[in-house]
Amino acid sequence: MEFFERFAVPHPSPAIYASMVAIGLTVIAIIAGLTYFKKWGYLWREWLTTVDHKRIGIMYMLSALLMLFRGGVDAIMMRAQLATPDSKLLDAQHYNEVFSTHGVVMIMFMAMPFIFAFMNYVVPLQIGARDVAFPRLNAISFWLFFMGAMLFNISFVVGGSPDAGWTSYFPLAGNDFSTSVGTNYYMIAIQISGIGSLMTGINMITTIMKMRAPGMTLMKMPMFTWSTLVANLIIVTVFPVITVALAMGTMDRLFGTHFFTTTNGGMDMLWANLFWVWGHPEVYILILPAFGIYSEIISTFSGRNLYGYKSMVASMVVISALSCVVWAHHFFTMGQGALSNSFFSITTMAIAVPTGVKIFNWLFTLWKGKIRFTVPMLYSLGFIPLFTIGGVTGVMLAMSAADYQYHNTMFLVAHFHNTIIPGVVYAMLAGLTYYWPKMFGFMLNERIGKWTFWLMSIGFVLAFFPMYITGLDGQARRMYTYSEATGFGPLNMLSFVGAGIMAIAFALIVYNVYYSVRYASRNIGSDPWDARTLEWATHTPVPEYNFAVEPQVHSSQPFWDAKKNKHVLFPNEIEKIHMPNNSGLPFIMCSIFFVWGFSFVFAIWPLLIIATLGIFACMAYRSFENDHGRYISAEEIHETEDKLRGAN
Amino acid sequence: MSELFPRKQIVGFVFSLILTAAALAVYFLDLSFAAGMTVLLITAFVQALLQLVVFMHAGETEDKWSIYGNVYFMMAIALVTIFGSLLIFLWDM
Amino acid sequence: MHVDHTQPLEYSSGQGRLNIYGFWVFLGAEIMLFATLFTVFFVLENRTGSGPNGAEIFEIAPVLAETFILLTSSFVIGLGIHAMRIGNKKAMMTFFAITLVLGLAFLGLEIDEFVTYIHEGATLQTSAFTAALMTTLGTHGAHVTFGLFWGISIIMQVKKRGLTPETANKSFIFSLYWHFLDVVWIFIFSFIYLKGMM
Repeated sequence: MEFFERFAVPHPSPAIYASMVAIGLTVIAIIAGLTYFKKWGYLWREWLTTVDHKRIGIMYMLSALLMLFRGGVDAIMMRAQLATPDSKLLDAQHYNEVFSTHGVVMIMFMAMPFIFAFMNYVVPLQIGARDVAFPRLNAISFWLFFMGAMLFNISFVVGGSPDAGWTSYFPLAGNDFSTSVGTNYYMIAIQISGIGSLMTGINMITTIMKMRAPGMTLMKMPMFTWSTLVANLIIVTVFPVITVALAMGTMDRLFGTHFFTTTNGGMDMLWANLFWVWGHPEVYILILPAFGIYSEIISTFSGRNLYGYKSMVASMVVISALSCVVWAHHFFTMGQGALSNSFFSITTMAIAVPTGVKIFNWLFTLWKGKIRFTVPMLYSLGFIPLFTIGGVTGVMLAMSAADYQYHNTMFLVAHFHNTIIPGVVYAMLAGLTYYWPKMFGFMLNERIGKWTFWLMSIGFVLAFFPMYITGLDGQARRMYTYSEATGFGPLNMLSFVGAGIMAIAFALIVYNVYYSVRYASRNIGSDPWDARTLEWATHTPVPEYNFAVEPQVHSSQPFWDAKKNKHVLFPNEIEKIHMPNNSGLPFIMCSIFFVWGFSFVFAIWPLLIIATLGIFACMAYRSFENDHGRYISAEEIHETEDKLRGAN
Repeated sequence: MSELFPRKQIVGFVFSLILTAAALAVYFLDLSFAAGMTVLLITAFVQALLQLVVFMHAGETEDKWSIYGNVYFMMAIALVTIFGSLLIFLWDM
Repeated sequence: MHVDHTQPLEYSSGQGRLNIYGFWVFLGAEIMLFATLFTVFFVLENRTGSGPNGAEIFEIAPVLAETFILLTSSFVIGLGIHAMRIGNKKAMMTFFAITLVLGLAFLGLEIDEFVTYIHEGATLQTSAFTAALMTTLGTHGAHVTFGLFWGISIIMQVKKRGLTPETANKSFIFSLYWHFLDVVWIFIFSFIYLKGMM
């Protein structure tokens, strides 16, 4: 019984107990449902063992949406607590847990999988390929993310949530000040998920560099593919840094080392340094694919080719290089000298330039275009002014001397939400709406979508712009309350109202999905938006092999050329196609990774050793495996194509 | 490429032994810190380049631009990370 | 599978070319992994707390032996790949086996080195310097250890299935890994040991 005490939550509350019950009931409901509807076989065959990039992309997207809910609930709780001075809704400990999980969930388990969803689904189709370079590895990437996310998500009901912020600085994150296993969860769950991200980086770079359709040179690739290439280059560059940092943090907590301690030569600030060497490029990993999605959508719904293709590519490459030399701006106030701060200040301000180039290119694309105000286009148009405001506050923060006033106030919180929400989240919602018909065969409702966009935007402005003011007035970040005398009350209440409106907007998205599943026409064809790039040259639903015949391209708008300029996309005859087989090994190995992570968090060494051996056993099995995939015969392809052509 | 005698490998091996011996100079001779670091930097990077080109066949295929580009980019960011961190923590704190 | 007979065996299949390309990308990531370890080492190098510093515990003889063994193993696996390219399966397997034996010898020396440090009062928990030192050396050693098991499985597959595009591809990729570990060791040798003993 003593053994089980370690799993108790150190700071329980009614909400946490209620969550335990809710999680338990949900798990039972899922198992019961699958059993009653006899769907275990279907689940295993079609989803758990899939190596198809389209299925994997959809699983990433569903996971991201679920995590958006979790992170959003965290946000509402924080805003509710801060709506009034001296509020007793959440005590300091719980507030710390909530803002820590909010940050980790939103960045690592919502935004990352959301961009991976689109990269996975869209990129192979955009370049005319049949799948990614390493489909099995792709499945492993997804399941590692999933297991890392699951591990992190149970922390608040098993053993205790992390509470040292999403940045988990030492010495706070060390054993002296964080005595529960919460920070262990942080170190290990993110580690597991991070390995998956690194694998995706390798996969996407190889796919894009080596598997493009004939005629598609690098400078003819669609902009989303370019943005994916650059973002994944950043991934493979900086994820190893956080791997090492998390490992050292784990060692300090579990093995008594002195990397980041305050004794025996340890240097606590080194954690912050390593974290941000990864952390700053990470936000560019998030924003670049978002920029790519905006490029596709703005081009499609202006009826024009994207303006300034070459400078769009160049600006992303410059951003990727610069993003790796700005990291210290996250800790200007940490104690280093003016020389260091000046260097990083200059590089940080410089990175605004290529970003500005992109904004102008989008504006020039819109100029003299035939604008269609669809929901994806609304998000893209809203992005431009809102993100620009966030960007210029970033330049304010970049001035290291001035940052001593802004650092860790609500001004900073406003800045990064002002870039991430109109930047990344809007792109994800735009992409969701834009690619939904290709993924699922029907469109999301336009009217509900427009309501969502406007409520989201109004809610966002009401929630976050007041924070610029309260931050300049002195309201600190990560503080669970403030006194009435500070005068922060009214603006915080306004933020809470804004957050509530955003919550309604997100609820509308859920309603939109339900409504559209029920009422939307399934007769929309394969090109509902009259789009320009290859992913729309497929049937809906997209067959397993994507393209019956490898496309041949001549320009950066191959589908548009085929529709308008009589370019022949598929000149060759149908031949048999080689496809990889499904495999249960990724799911099994990553499930063992979950056990590995769990036993690490709780320092259950025998189980850890067994799980480690299990992981290596899976690798050995894979090494000796003799699975060479299968062929889809030409006849079968003809049949499928005829059926799909009839349906479209 | 299909020659029978592994000439490249043997020359490469000998050269890497020479470079290692040269690096040992900093241990056996009394050099200043600057001189010692210069010797080490040169011998280490040259030997790394040797491994890359001769042993790892980096320049052999059409992918050589990707391979060299990748390695140089990573080395550049590695140096930025190392020297940036040294600046922050050792030279400017 | 479409096999291109004008290329060396390891490059002759489409998937094989993708695998080699992907592995080079992975090696780029590994450069950053070790770069981070070096960053931590250089920042913490002089923070020895109450424990010893590098000059006090490093000994040139075992370090030279480790270096020479690893360099030789890199040369031998180069001979192995050369043998593979001229189709000599037996020579290739022999060279690979020698490589792994040398790798094992390297590990033995390194374990002995660690045991010596511990007896001299330089444990993983002693100071920031020892933590950084042993984690960097240990990460390299763990990579070598993983390589031993990987290499054994490659030799077994070549033995059982012969030299096919797949086994040649796997062997070539393993050789890239092994050479890379040697490159990392060159930097460890130069900037941890020699620099520490200047």
